[in-house]
Amino acid sequence: MKRIGPLVFERRLAPTRTAILGYSLLAILIALAIMSVIFWAYGVSPIKAYSTIGRTTLGTRFGLMEVLRRTIPLLLCGVGLVIAFRAKFWNIGAEGQLLAGAVAATWVALFTGIPAPWKIPAMFVLGFAAGALWGIIPALLKVKLQVNDVISTLMMNYIMAYFVKWLIYGPWRGPTMRGFAYTDLFPRDAWLPLFKYSKVHWPTLLIGLAAAVTAALILSRTRLGYEIRVVGDSPDAARYAGISFLGVSLWVMLLSGGLAGLAGVGEVAGIHHRLLEPDHVSLGYGYTAIIVAWLARGSPLAAIVTSLLFGLIFAAGDEIKVTLQMPFQITGVFNGLILFFLIGVEVLLYWKVRVVRKEKGWAGKAGS
Amino acid sequence: MRKLVLLLGIVLLMGLVALGAEKIKAGFIYVGPIGDYGWTHAHDLARRIVDEKFDWLETVYVESVPEGQEGAIIDRLVAQGCNVIFTTSFGFMDGTLEAAMRYPDIIFAHCSGFKRYNNMATYMADFYQVYYLNGLMAGALTKTGKVGYVAAHPIPELKRHINAFTLGVREVNPDAEVHVRWIYSWYDPAAAKEATEALIAEGCDVFAFTEDSPTVVQVAAENGLPSFAHYSPMLKFAPDYVVSGQLVHWEKIYEDFLVKVHEGLYTTENLAHVDYWWTLPQGAVELGADFGVAINPAWEDELKAYVVDHPIFGKISVYELVMIRHSQFGDPGITFDPFQGPVYDRKGVLRIPKGTWPSYETLVTMQWAVEGVVGPWPGEPEE
Amino acid sequence: MGWESWIVDTLRRALAYGTPLLWGTLGEIYAERSGVVNLGVEGMMILGALAAFAVAQSTGNPWIGILAAAVVGGLSALIHAFFSITLRANQYVSGLALTIFGLGLSGLLGTSWVGISLKNPLPKASIPGLKEIPILGPALFRDHSYLTYIGLFLAAVLWFVLYKTRWGIAIRSVGESPATADAMGINVFAVRYLCVIFGGVLAGVAGGFLSVEYRPSWTEGMTAGMGWIVIALTIFAAWDPLQAVGGVVLFGALYHLAYRLQRWFPPEFLKLMPYAFAILVLAVAGLRKVRRGAPAALGLPYVRGQR
Repeated sequence: MKRIGPLVFERRLAPTRTAILGYSLLAILIALAIMSVIFWAYGVSPIKAYSTIGRTTLGTRFGLMEVLRRTIPLLLCGVGLVIAFRAKFWNIGAEGQLLAGAVAATWVALFTGIPAPWKIPAMFVLGFAAGALWGIIPALLKVKLQVNDVISTLMMNYIMAYFVKWLIYGPWRGPTMRGFAYTDLFPRDAWLPLFKYSKVHWPTLLIGLAAAVTAALILSRTRLGYEIRVVGDSPDAARYAGISFLGVSLWVMLLSGGLAGLAGVGEVAGIHHRLLEPDHVSLGYGYTAIIVAWLARGSPLAAIVTSLLFGLIFAAGDEIKVTLQMPFQITGVFNGLILFFLIGVEVLLYWKVRVVRKEKGWAGKAGS
Repeated sequence: MRKLVLLLGIVLLMGLVALGAEKIKAGFIYVGPIGDYGWTHAHDLARRIVDEKFDWLETVYVESVPEGQEGAIIDRLVAQGCNVIFTTSFGFMDGTLEAAMRYPDIIFAHCSGFKRYNNMATYMADFYQVYYLNGLMAGALTKTGKVGYVAAHPIPELKRHINAFTLGVREVNPDAEVHVRWIYSWYDPAAAKEATEALIAEGCDVFAFTEDSPTVVQVAAENGLPSFAHYSPMLKFAPDYVVSGQLVHWEKIYEDFLVKVHEGLYTTENLAHVDYWWTLPQGAVELGADFGVAINPAWEDELKAYVVDHPIFGKISVYELVMIRHSQFGDPGITFDPFQGPVYDRKGVLRIPKGTWPSYETLVTMQWAVEGVVGPWPGEPEE
Repeated sequence: MGWESWIVDTLRRALAYGTPLLWGTLGEIYAERSGVVNLGVEGMMILGALAAFAVAQSTGNPWIGILAAAVVGGLSALIHAFFSITLRANQYVSGLALTIFGLGLSGLLGTSWVGISLKNPLPKASIPGLKEIPILGPALFRDHSYLTYIGLFLAAVLWFVLYKTRWGIAIRSVGESPATADAMGINVFAVRYLCVIFGGVLAGVAGGFLSVEYRPSWTEGMTAGMGWIVIALTIFAAWDPLQAVGGVVLFGALYHLAYRLQRWFPPEFLKLMPYAFAILVLAVAGLRKVRRGAPAALGLPYVRGQR
């Protein structure tokens, strides 16, 4: 317990839902307030900026569809990361796992003779498998060889990005692309269906929603979910209970990497219809998904909401560029700020603030 | 659905109103940041020039649009009332075509691609003649007989440029080689720097490049070696060492195109065959390292002192040769092409027969390397 | 061309390209030695690069530019220190935030500096005497940037401080076991703050080197992923300043050779080597059951009275 003047800070073990929601909103509000200053410095009235963004993203069908389109990969990666973070596995590698899925989908689409009705399912299955494989490697490295998960997953993003580059400049360069570094376009039977007048590849969206629900059930209702939670909350207890770290880590990264792989399938089969420069495929979704998962605080269902929020921020970033003619880096500044404040308010979550009127018992000296 | 129809209606109406008032709102979509000091920078410079010049014209731009995202950006520009949209990256081709079909009342122009439509034109300002002229000078300046070339991507555009450059080098220095390094990026200063250093280590002493930064010019100058600038005015980055280079004037194309739209010559019906392939005669490109400076005066003497025995012009200094060739690309009527046959590739295959000029198709799909090119050449055709 | 010139050229370029990596890595080693991972290196470097260029161009003095880069790097590291040490927030997320934020902010503020040639880049120098040594002389001691020599010297000094002085013991014990250090009367928070800020200062200088020496101009995103190579190098070097020099030379040589050997190797494979190496050395260390100097309390916030 700590006291400053009339305020008493008490530690609490588990933050309440209201506290989580309230403080998360507070973080977003602070970030928005600081952004106002930046808008203002650019000579754009913040009120005009926010109303324009609100109108153009949420006020039109087109805007909403754009938000949804951006939400899909964030949702899939985000749900996967929620599972991983729940077991305290720091998967920073969704970006590379997404690309792995995109590579597998491209292989199925261009280089296999799988007939039409099975082609798209095969792309998803192999995309999941490729992402899972890219996720399992760091899990094995961590449990068997104590290789730090943050480092291995981060480094593997770069390895996969260079691998994709090699593919599109080398063996997979499309003969119809006049020497440019793209694969050929996928045949039509490998294109995902879209919502009308939009680029929302709804099958991937459905898979994402299903994944969120399934993940929530796994975490709350199954033995695996229980083990994941124990490993994450208290490794010592997990050890006493005889829970296999290897098993849990493998499962967690299989799901986490696999879901990111599905996001990659969606991007190439739904939007690009070919493999291209890795930066243009992943677009930082894998990194942004870290914020999505962080904000969801261990709940896959909450990731639906938080991925929508960041889908909105991506769409708003495009709007800021087009409508307000502002530099594109502004989204980066905003994402950085919001991330800082999110982790900044974290500390508050574990403290309960109480106002004490009367000087009563002295519950101990300052310090926790 | 009803809302969408309404929206489309409003958009159409706005478009019509805009056309009625003969106002044009042009949207420019860039793949890079306008601060790249290369491709996107040059397009944006041109946009600002035409924007200033015509009071019936309003322009907006969107920078750093990743490939695959152009469709959504076009939708937003249309919603904002743009009636002409330029997309400036090869990777925007399919997205632009889809948009052209989606918005039959908007005029599109796509840079560097090959797909056109009723309301979608293509355009390109090409440098191969200028690269050839620079090659003549590079051939005269190399002492080691090795010229370095730092190149972004192994695509036909760059292969054409390297080939034209090499033909120039060998015209005045038949034994000289052009050593090529690819950096696999339009913009990666560290890669460009190390590629240049690798070429220096191989003994190259004159440099040309195709990449979006002044790195090669800076590194060459640091080592006291001459170089040829690319794309943006780079003379100021190494005033004593940049000999010449190639500069772009996208505004010539933008001006021509927009004026014709304004005058009603270009409509949403007749663009399927409009393809700008503008070079020196149209003024879309310029020889030099800074506007108006074709050859750095500091290097004139050396170029004048280098005299070759030319099969057509006899004893002639390279300086004069460059001037003559430059005028042969001039308006009206081009009387010379760098790829004038016979041209053999480095595997000995005759690619352009004697006495002929390459077709446009040959130029834009060029995959082979001419004799004298040394180094890796991804996608090189078998014999 | 004989083998000597291959060795000389490769070493020369490895050291030149490696200089910003060296500065960045030395800084990150100190931060991590005190127990704080800072994934914001890329962000601090790019902010340093912009600050150095803007100040060097305005004042005409590249050294003042480097000084500005150091200050800006230190200040941006202070943000990370505040969040990760005082607020005990997750260090990985805080570092990522710093990178995202730094890349965005530098792009936003840097627009007016694009396309300008720096008037006075940082000078180069040779070391009398040493430069005459065959092979090593021309490779290591001739016509390199002052910052290259200072960086090498700094590596030796930082190694000495870390292993042979009381300060070094304090830093290492804070990274190994903050509770024990605390009990010994070491101010854990102060040590961590200082180390993280020092790391930022060095990362800032690394960025400044890029914009006022290596390629004297400003373009946004010019660090192009070097910050992440620094993270990889820190592990590769086993958190040891002298091994960092070896790692930097190796990674730099690989990068240079990616262009030298292009005729025979796809450059993508040589370029992904640093990242693969980082994982590989950790895996090999795990295989041999050695800790390789990884600070035990790395990544963990310190709360007094809690273990």
